[in-house]
Amino acid sequence: MQIQMNEFLFAMILTELEDAVGVENCSTRAIDKVTHSVDYYWLSRMWADRGCRMPEAQYVVCPKDATEVSKVLKIANYYKLPVTTWGAGGGTQGGAIPVCGGIILDTKRMNKIYEVNTEGMYIECGTGAIYKHIEWAANEVGKATMHYPSSLTCSTVGGFLAHRGIGVVSTKYGKIDDMVLKMEVVLPNGDIIETCSAPKHAAGPDLNQIFIGSEGTLGIITKAQIRIFDQPEERRFRGFLFQDMNGAFKASRELLQKFKPSVMRLYDEAETASLIKKIVGVERKGAFMNVAYEGVREMVEVEEKILLETFAKYGAEDLGSEYGEKWWKEKITFFYPGHMMDIPQCFGTMDTIAPYGKIEEIYWAMKEAIETNFPQAKFIAHFSHWYEWGAMVYDRFIVDGKDVPQDPVEALRLHQAIWTCGVRTALAHGGVVNDHHGVGIKLGRLMKEQYGPAMQVFEGIKKQLDPNGIMNPFKLGL
Amino acid sequence: MIMSEKCKQHVDSCRFCWMCHHICPIGNATGQERNTARARALGISLVNRDAMELSEIMDNIYECCTCGACVHDCITGWDPVMFTKETRLQAALEGATPDYINVLIDNCLETGNAYGKTATCETLTAAIKAHADKKDTLLLLGVDAKFMACKQALKAIQVLEKAGVDFSVLENEAPTGAQLDFLIGAANETKEQMAACAKVLDDYKTVVVYDPNDAKAIKQLYKEYGIETKANVVTYTSFVASLLRDGKLEAVNSGKAVVFQDPYQLSRDLEETEEAREIIMSYAVLGEMLLNRAETVWAGNILMAQYKPEVIKLVAERRIFNATSIGADTIVTACVGEYVALNNVEQDKVKIISIEDLILG
Repeated sequence: MQIQMNEFLFAMILTELEDAVGVENCSTRAIDKVTHSVDYYWLSRMWADRGCRMPEAQYVVCPKDATEVSKVLKIANYYKLPVTTWGAGGGTQGGAIPVCGGIILDTKRMNKIYEVNTEGMYIECGTGAIYKHIEWAANEVGKATMHYPSSLTCSTVGGFLAHRGIGVVSTKYGKIDDMVLKMEVVLPNGDIIETCSAPKHAAGPDLNQIFIGSEGTLGIITKAQIRIFDQPEERRFRGFLFQDMNGAFKASRELLQKFKPSVMRLYDEAETASLIKKIVGVERKGAFMNVAYEGVREMVEVEEKILLETFAKYGAEDLGSEYGEKWWKEKITFFYPGHMMDIPQCFGTMDTIAPYGKIEEIYWAMKEAIETNFPQAKFIAHFSHWYEWGAMVYDRFIVDGKDVPQDPVEALRLHQAIWTCGVRTALAHGGVVNDHHGVGIKLGRLMKEQYGPAMQVFEGIKKQLDPNGIMNPFKLGL
Repeated sequence: MIMSEKCKQHVDSCRFCWMCHHICPIGNATGQERNTARARALGISLVNRDAMELSEIMDNIYECCTCGACVHDCITGWDPVMFTKETRLQAALEGATPDYINVLIDNCLETGNAYGKTATCETLTAAIKAHADKKDTLLLLGVDAKFMACKQALKAIQVLEKAGVDFSVLENEAPTGAQLDFLIGAANETKEQMAACAKVLDDYKTVVVYDPNDAKAIKQLYKEYGIETKANVVTYTSFVASLLRDGKLEAVNSGKAVVFQDPYQLSRDLEETEEAREIIMSYAVLGEMLLNRAETVWAGNILMAQYKPEVIKLVAERRIFNATSIGADTIVTACVGEYVALNNVEQDKVKIISIEDLILG
């Protein structure tokens, strides 16, 4: 039964939520509702820019631990109120937008660092901790998390887990889903569960991986053990200029069969000419690639030799270490206002992952599809996360502000049309709907196109765990 | 809401930028999403677009401590403190200031301090009277020390006495305008208070400013507002460090391990970080918290505790946690507001002392 909210019921539910998390941690104030209605998703930003209010939750609650989360979920289930989990709002896919109202459950009070364990090499923390804070905790004992996305300072541990985030040194150290040992999760019915004490086992399917990437649709991750690493004795950089991307792909694939660098970033000709020229200062035609390799000094020496020999075989011009070091220093500068795309531009990043046999084809197909169907859009890309078997294209479209309709609904139409065109093209050429930003409400409609009948696996899990459908409705295509 | 073009530009840059999310001492302590620069900018931008009422965001505007951690952290130079203070000013002009802030403003205008105090403790009054004669050097205690932490004010006097400094203390100090600047920004009333204070300071060759908040106002804000002082204005810490250097204070190092809580007014605004360390290292063994010097994390104050006591408690608790996480058992402060805020936390892991405590033993 869907409840009809009225003033009396609203007040009654409020008292129950206040009882669950404390009066001071439960808000119905306009500023809290507005703040939790706009995340990094372009459509929510555009909507606010046009002076419109995004869908808002009726209640904003900030529980301090799994027990309080459990209480909130039991209340929500009883009244059949939607619950949208909010980390720090740095997501780009609208995953944290409370599109159906109800309750926003902000995790940031669950920010306790319970343990820094240098024997087991992990930090146990609440998932509301800002990732930079656990990096600081690791640094205090001479370690590092090695998870350095551009949103390091503005995303929570839970946020990264929710959408399978990734950092710039992923090629060596892995994605966030490789960095979790164990988790505590509150199921939609309020039960508090723990995953296995070790992430690799033969005790059935991996429970961690069922909840990682589930974007708050299957439960709420409240605690996690996150891996930490020794600081590398040495981190070296090398910049290269390839004549074109094809040579870079061949060189990189061969390199990755030999060892794993930490950073590998290949920029297409368009991005080399724009962003790289602006920030790094390279003003040459071709495809710029930045590689970092790190670890024990003797190993780094050997890796450098292998890198130079391998890339030379494919005609790469060695630009030395200066550009790479500058990029490392400036790696977050790219994302500050004034350097980053921003309103009034319409823009998006369709990060697509695919095997080597398909990734370059996907790039060209997407570029053609977008530039042909939307001549007002510019398409640029870089390839920043690499594996032995494939790579990710960080492909962006940018439409100048003058070409973006002022009417918010028309602007939404344009944005949706470009996304649909781009991602469908990627799917048609063997790509996956997304690499590391997640699905949210932005790409939910394309999940069924991605998975076909396989989608029923997710739908079945969802139905079993969340029969009332209260958990982050309309996200992840569920 | 009327807002300068410069401010609008900063608001529109910050409203969709999350990059300083990790650094706000209030946001980190409360875990509230609204306690971020981007949330504040978003609220202001929606008011500017007639999608929210100014009154709906004012509580949040007054939850900012204006410590400037976000400004310092911003690679591209956007300034959330500027638009926060301008919004406070505009709210005052439009009659949208919350009542609990109006009380503090009225107190500032009537008594010179936000607390509405007119008298300090007897011991301090006597100590001040002992320095009533006009000298070349003036010790400016400030309203926090004088009215809310008189023991610390007394110790500040005793340190200078110990060093044999010939100095005056005014029985009726002119308010520096720092509190009004926090409450309503660059209003005429703020500037008038500052100008009146500058005129008093002009009578002295050297003014030693005890409270970093006042030091920031006099050394930085007065210039921004076109107010000049003829006196040589120095911070208390830099003055005491010079006394040590000149041999006027004799230090014995106890070997005790301590950490220092950098006041942001000194470390970020006035770029003074080493003078306090010089003093501390003469008396103790200094360790460093992870976030120190210009990266310091504000640990609370007395003014905001008047209307957000629970928030200030959380802020102070978090900073104490920073100290305990590196095994420190003593925090040395150089700002009376932080000294009071940290000491108001009920805990027995870390001892909170001032630089004066360290010197006087």
